[in-house]
Amino acid sequence: VKIFQIALGILAAIGGFVDIGDLVFNTAAGATFGYQLLWVIVIGVVGIIVYSEMCGRVAAVSEKAVFDAVRERVGFGGGLVTLVAAQVVNLMTLAAEVGGVAICMRLLSGLPYRWLILVAIVALGVVVWVVSFDWIERIFGYGGLCLLVFAVASVKLHPDWGAVAHGFVPHLNTEDSLLYLYFAVGLLGAAMTPYEVYFYSSGGVEEGWTPKNLGLNKANAIIGYGLGGFLSFALMIVGGTLFLAEGIEPETLGTIALGAQVPLGQIGLLLALIGILFAVGGASIDTLFAGAYNLAQFMGWEWGRYRTNAGAPRFTLTWMVLLLLALGIVVTGVDPVQLTEYAVIFSVVALPLTYLPILLVANDRSYMGRYVNGRVANTLGIAYFILIVFISLTAIPLMILTNVGQG
Amino acid sequence: MRRQALLSALVLLVLVLAGCNGGTVDQHALDKDSEAIDSLACEGALLANEIAHTASHTPFSRVHAGELYTRAANFQDALSRRPTTPGIEQAVREEAKKAGAIAHLFDQLAGDPSNPELAATLKPKFEQQGGCA
Repeated sequence: VKIFQIALGILAAIGGFVDIGDLVFNTAAGATFGYQLLWVIVIGVVGIIVYSEMCGRVAAVSEKAVFDAVRERVGFGGGLVTLVAAQVVNLMTLAAEVGGVAICMRLLSGLPYRWLILVAIVALGVVVWVVSFDWIERIFGYGGLCLLVFAVASVKLHPDWGAVAHGFVPHLNTEDSLLYLYFAVGLLGAAMTPYEVYFYSSGGVEEGWTPKNLGLNKANAIIGYGLGGFLSFALMIVGGTLFLAEGIEPETLGTIALGAQVPLGQIGLLLALIGILFAVGGASIDTLFAGAYNLAQFMGWEWGRYRTNAGAPRFTLTWMVLLLLALGIVVTGVDPVQLTEYAVIFSVVALPLTYLPILLVANDRSYMGRYVNGRVANTLGIAYFILIVFISLTAIPLMILTNVGQG
Repeated sequence: MRRQALLSALVLLVLVLAGCNGGTVDQHALDKDSEAIDSLACEGALLANEIAHTASHTPFSRVHAGELYTRAANFQDALSRRPTTPGIEQAVREEAKKAGAIAHLFDQLAGDPSNPELAATLKPKFEQQGGCA
């Protein structure tokens, strides 16, 4: 039973860390710089744990999710800017993930992509309509664990473990410093992407967390995001060991899956594709819910899957509209991988607007009573906020200077 | 009106800086495209090797080879038609030819993705085209 209780963290992390963009971005970082960027994942994992624990604690104590706090602490104008930025990035990501689900189903079945987009949309709609929040967490969170095949693959590829260990030591690459920084900023942005905390904090409210669940909140944040980080390590090691040596620039989901097939054969390939399908499907649901949560919380509507669909009609209508908008985007033929890479970089720009209100509320004794941030949470929270501001200022210039990472 | 014009100019500037420079192939773009084309060929060699030596999942092999075919064909098309900076025309057209040859290999692989003998004959051709390790 205990293992089921950390499903929220696992789903949030799998959806957030190993969605379609992260799968390609992590592997591409490995294929470009070997293991040199592993330390950036560690920084990102610690950051998302710190802020998820904080917003989960706020949810447990005040029963309010992130966008309630945004609206209350930043005011209507600032809140509206945050909402628009968050919704645009959410919608881009949702469309990319839906496209990713269709690509993955195509790699498994060989059926036409356009039909599979429709199948993906209908399947996601039915799942969200019919399945309870708890079971959505379990199905997609634990289904995504098939991605652990990449951890096995990374070992079977026999990397130079000394070089891997060196990759965990923070350092700069002086040969191509701009591209290196672009990947570092992208990896941090991907690790701390805003929809993870929107989904996570609202999920805490969905699960009816109270101060008694603060231990569970910590376990969810640490184990869930720790696992997401572990999968990111594995992908980067596969990229650094296999694709860098072979001179391959991974740009498609099929290439990532090939990274499991080479060392493990057909079973590795199938587990990778199934894991990717659940992870990308989970990310679709994360972003779909995050979009509906944000709008409903900002507008003060009834929200949540713990109510019936009819019990929160505007929330239900919102996720349906978002799903249709995503369909409209993805049928244009846009490349889902490229779309999500842009979404990651643009989401970095919106990071401070998301994380500042969390930090402020977690420090507000009138909200939190005796559960306000302690010294460690505050020190880490402030340090990460400074880092977030820095990467939000550098993301777009780096994207332009490196031609979206193409050099 | 002025704000809209400013915004449009900003968007245009971002696009120009991001590399959408009207499609002219310069030496830097050629180098980058050449790397990407070699990467496709090396991935083709890896995929062909899997088909030749393991029981690869046929829909995956067909779809993935088809995807890589499209990418190689796009490079061929773009490098054949885009204007180039003076002095590198010949190199650009040769790269287009190479992309076309790689696309042809992917076309063969996607057409018969469960044929290990064919895959075994295609693998060294991919490696030769891409100069793979």
